[in-house]
Amino acid sequence: MPTGEFPSVSEAVSQETINDYADLSGDYNPIHVDEAAGAASEFGGTIAHGPIALQTFFRSLTEWLDAPAPPAGTVVNITFRAPTRPGDTIHSELREQDGDEIKAECVNQDGTTVISATATLPE
Amino acid sequence: MTPEETPALSNVTYDELDVGQVLGTVDEPVGAELAGSLIGAIGASGEAAIAPPAVFPVLFLKALRRTLGGIPNGGVLAKYELRFGAPLETGNDVRIEVSIADKYVRRERPYVVVQFAIDDASGERALTGLKTIMWPTGPGQE
Repeated sequence: MPTGEFPSVSEAVSQETINDYADLSGDYNPIHVDEAAGAASEFGGTIAHGPIALQTFFRSLTEWLDAPAPPAGTVVNITFRAPTRPGDTIHSELREQDGDEIKAECVNQDGTTVISATATLPE
Repeated sequence: MTPEETPALSNVTYDELDVGQVLGTVDEPVGAELAGSLIGAIGASGEAAIAPPAVFPVLFLKALRRTLGGIPNGGVLAKYELRFGAPLETGNDVRIEVSIADKYVRRERPYVVVQFAIDDASGERALTGLKTIMWPTGPGQE
């Protein structure tokens, strides 16, 4: 169990970031990459793929663990609460640590929580 | 059908999916460059010998696209549950079984839970993932 502080990681999200993720993943859903389709949607513009904002939490977790990946037996639960848009800056914040369980959030520049995450490490 | 030939988007409806249905099993490469590009900021280049956790959502999307005939057009990501197994070494293929774990309607919105069972080249489980998607069509909709 790491004893250091859970680090906060910040990442700026642009349409270029979103397009890069589409190329990596093959997810070219218009809601992510087509500005006209995004404008016509309930979101009023394109939104980032969920894992883009989640990246700040993953980076905090692996940095805190000082390991490239969580150990076997780790369970991570993620809830996507709000969209991330081009121009947003997302950072991860520790909310609670209780034994082997970490609760954190990914928050945008307006203070809106876009992701809630819980990681439970193996004993 | 090769990964390159798979359509980008799918219009499979909520009603066409059954709980317990296996959509398919696919092999996907996990290269050091893909892993390296998901360690730090999205899009940064690098190489990694062990896959960081961000590799798995990418594998979900690649496997879903190939087994469903495309990414659900208009679907919105709601939740993940990730159960990590052995650290995944890069430079090999993984085998991914994709199945429908659950589907339900909540607050008049349809959700589908897709399970991804990912095994490394030696057959050891690297991750079991559940991805909940707010589906673009509900019961009875085309």
